[in-house]
Amino acid sequence: MKALIEVKAASVTYRIRHGASPTLKQTVIQSIKREKLDVEIQALKEVSFSVNQGEMLAVVGSNGAGKSTLLKLLARVLPPTSGQVIVRGSVAPMIELGAGFNGELTGRENVVLYGTLLGRKPKEVQSRVDSIAAWAGIDESIDLPLRTYSSGMVAKLAFAVATDVQSDVILVDEVLSIGDAEFQEKSKERMREFFQGDSAVILVTHDEKAVRDLASKAIWIDHGRVMEYGEVDKVLSAYLHG
Amino acid sequence: MAKVPMISYDSATGTRIFRDTFLTLWRHRELVQLLVKRDITVRYKRSFLGLLWTLLNPLLTSLVLWIVFITVFSARLPDGTEFAPYLLAGVLLVTFFTQGFSQAADSIAQGAGILMKIYVPPQVFAFASAISNAVNFSFGLVALALVSFITGDGMSWMFLLTVIVMLCMLMYVTGLSLMVSILYIRYSDTRSIFAILISFMMYLSPVFYPKDILSETMLRVVNANPLTSYLDVFRHVFSNTGVATVGDWAYMSFSSALIFIIGIRVFANAWPRTAVML
Repeated sequence: MKALIEVKAASVTYRIRHGASPTLKQTVIQSIKREKLDVEIQALKEVSFSVNQGEMLAVVGSNGAGKSTLLKLLARVLPPTSGQVIVRGSVAPMIELGAGFNGELTGRENVVLYGTLLGRKPKEVQSRVDSIAAWAGIDESIDLPLRTYSSGMVAKLAFAVATDVQSDVILVDEVLSIGDAEFQEKSKERMREFFQGDSAVILVTHDEKAVRDLASKAIWIDHGRVMEYGEVDKVLSAYLHG
Repeated sequence: MAKVPMISYDSATGTRIFRDTFLTLWRHRELVQLLVKRDITVRYKRSFLGLLWTLLNPLLTSLVLWIVFITVFSARLPDGTEFAPYLLAGVLLVTFFTQGFSQAADSIAQGAGILMKIYVPPQVFAFASAISNAVNFSFGLVALALVSFITGDGMSWMFLLTVIVMLCMLMYVTGLSLMVSILYIRYSDTRSIFAILISFMMYLSPVFYPKDILSETMLRVVNANPLTSYLDVFRHVFSNTGVATVGDWAYMSFSSALIFIIGIRVFANAWPRTAVML
């Protein structure tokens, strides 16, 4: 089995200034006074793991443990401060879907733009719009501006675009529950198909049951450090009782 | 089910800034195209006049300036050129610069919602904003051509060289925006500082006054402003309402190339440490 994700001793360090949004004035004054008001926050400390083709790694940990930073690292959105991150193949970031949607554009234009942002060819997405809209159940309004949609419709459309292709690496932030009961069933079914394929999946969740049902291994992160990594049972019991 | 093409990512590779920047931009060229289309569509979709507004906007701005300044300069400038095309040319190019800069420099901060979730090279947003302003500028050229013919100055085949001016301005705007976008993300007060600096640059270039009225010292200052060389060359090639020397051509090309290169380099170096602040 091929490792699609390899993370080797990756650390992420933020430098954040005290107080509200920093200004140039404040910064200049501080440097003249030789004050040091930067705080270093280490969001991840030497995290290492790998995920093979067909595996699902569940990431558990309390709020602020560094799970979101880890997802950003894998989504290529943040570079590691030190260490190395290797991701082989296409990435589907199922994180707050619908980034870049614009209310003035029609559903169709938004689908093409969003699909292209996710790394597909505009022409290819163009040819898929009608079946994407049909699957999301909004075929009648696909040529209307997105601002006329309900928030549920927007969420359905975003999910339909994001899951229209099978990607090599899938990053999931909480198992999604979108729309009415009928659509939830449909979307769960599609996610299940996704998870059973050849992809490497990262699932960040607080849902213990989902971890036991779906994941093939797990990692527990606390204050940016790996506390436990390996078999699901071992990691979960350490996380829940430790 | 269709598959997305295989692309591998290794955080440890890739430090050849120019090759990497252009390669990623080339790979995302279709996205840039879509973003330009989005910018233009969104800007005009809800306006009653639609795309016609692109032509009316600089025309009306110039009309107001023309009415104000005609009492000072009369319809013809001291050297005999028509004031109206001279003015409109200046307004068009400077709008490309100021509007392009303000939109492109802010585009990366505006794109935070996307950039923090999906991998997209951030430079794409700055390029797209600058290009959509270049497209606007080329719409405006239609209005300028009309005014040139109406006032009787006409145009020569030299106007084809406008493409070079446009390309240089595009590079200048993009380079400058890339540098400044880093500051915009890091320090919230830099927006107002740059708004003032940009309007300084505008007033210290011959947009709505001829250079003849300047004193020796002021002329030196105005000529040192890179914008002046762009204006001189543009007016010369498009409607022959000004003189462009070899020095103007050289200064225009040199400043655009230099700012473009510095912008790409500064941005690529600063981005990893800036991304976390978005």
